[in-house]
Amino acid sequence: MDFGTPDLGFIIAGWGVILGGVALYAGLLLRRLSAARAASLKIRRAAEAAEPPPADQLS
Amino acid sequence: MNSLLADAAVAWQVARKDALSELRGRYLAGSTLFFAALVLLLFGFALGPDSRRLAEAAPGLLWLAIVFGSLLTVARLHQLEAEDGALDELARYPVERHAIFLGKALAAMAALVVLGGVLLPVVAILYGIDLAGAWLALLAALLLGAAGLAAVGTFYAGVTVRMQAREVLLPLLMLPVVAPLLLAAVKATTVALAGDPFGELSAWLQLLAVFDVVMIVAGAVTYGHLLEE
Amino acid sequence: MGTRILGAVALLAVAGASAYALFGVPPDANQGEAQRIMYVHVPSAWLGYLSFGVTALAGIGYLWKRDLRLDAVALAGAEIGVMFTAFTIWAGMMWGQPVWGVFWQWEDPRLTTTALLLALYVGYLLFRRLTDDPHRRAARAAVVGIIAAVDIPIVHFSVEWWRGLHQGPTIGSPDKVLNPSAPPLFVITLLSMLLSFTLVWLWLMIRRYQLARIEWQIEEHGRLGRLTAARRASRAAVAPSDGAVERA
Repeated sequence: MDFGTPDLGFIIAGWGVILGGVALYAGLLLRRLSAARAASLKIRRAAEAAEPPPADQLS
Repeated sequence: MNSLLADAAVAWQVARKDALSELRGRYLAGSTLFFAALVLLLFGFALGPDSRRLAEAAPGLLWLAIVFGSLLTVARLHQLEAEDGALDELARYPVERHAIFLGKALAAMAALVVLGGVLLPVVAILYGIDLAGAWLALLAALLLGAAGLAAVGTFYAGVTVRMQAREVLLPLLMLPVVAPLLLAAVKATTVALAGDPFGELSAWLQLLAVFDVVMIVAGAVTYGHLLEE
Repeated sequence: MGTRILGAVALLAVAGASAYALFGVPPDANQGEAQRIMYVHVPSAWLGYLSFGVTALAGIGYLWKRDLRLDAVALAGAEIGVMFTAFTIWAGMMWGQPVWGVFWQWEDPRLTTTALLLALYVGYLLFRRLTDDPHRRAARAAVVGIIAAVDIPIVHFSVEWWRGLHQGPTIGSPDKVLNPSAPPLFVITLLSMLLSFTLVWLWLMIRRYQLARIEWQIEEHGRLGRLTAARRASRAAVAPSDGAVERA
């Protein structure tokens, strides 16, 4: 790959930003997804805990 | 056929109402004209004093001024009703939504044609352009360009009228969409002023016409969903 | 579970295709090594347009069915589409400098159309942020997305026409790699890049869609929570007067 060495920088920049960018975005997605799932689970558990007791127990 | 006539009647009513309020609110409409002329003046300071360069740039600068003016015009035509709550009233009328769109777009087009008409002599004076002999072609370009700007502008003004950041959203959304119109209108104007040596004028006017038709149809079809909010 | 498998397959495919595109396939006779950039540029462009097609169609689907899941698809498409469109322009510039000598060329219809595509969809995303009500946001976004999608072919044709009258440059054209009569190795490399990138795209779309759904459910819960709290507060404000009447 020594033919056109000045081009090397552009190839690295071009490919690097794109592959790196996709990897970065994918990583961010996975992180946000796990955080959101955790938060959603917390909410659901809190809602279940706060549920009023079944009607037959009130009498 | 009957409903078509009914729609046309509604559109005409809406257009008339808007045009009348434009006339009554003369100072608002007038300020837009003045703003656009000011923009042309400022372009002179930015690109001058080489008069040849200005003359070459004139068609582009003219249309930029018209586009900037259109931002103000379409925003204004939606603003008055939104403030009175009249937009909601309008939405409740049992008429076809696309007729309302067409009416508002028609009023906007009229305003823009007037704007362009006023700016042409300004351009001629400031940038030293000779308009004689090209006036028919210039009129055609103006009408087609104004129609497209009016359709797209009315659509986006309707989209953003109830939103908080509408002053910046309207240009942000509208300007990329009208890029091809700008391109074609400037080309048509340039070619017309040069006397159309290669017979390109009709091609550019056709492109403008296609743009207009597509945008008018798309806007009319989707505008209804906006009023439903 | 299926998505994880997809992710693994996509990762392997991209790694393999990229390795070959960067080190395996021979360089172009005219454009040299710089032509390798095309192997990321074309897939990025393809995914940019594909994403926005999905956004526009999902928007139409929402207007028809009023199902917020379609709006989640539209959002995913727009966000991922903006990313790949930005990549397309970046790769185009990185290719343009060594081959054309300039980073930007007004006469290339694809470059200018892509720049406008980026502007249209950045506007779409910003616009989405300024509406809170989910259904209103979905309807407005759908409508904006449709107009944007409709504009794109017009932009492309206009710039082509614009360029045609100026006898644009024919040497060093990006078309080379898309030409079916190109050397078969080039075609295979490009196709494998296209395929592997599309798999990655699919995985990203699914994950972004899932994220949108969960985040909106949380958002909706938050809204309902505030609503019930407000109602409780207003009821509590009314209650003391009963005691006052009794005392009187």
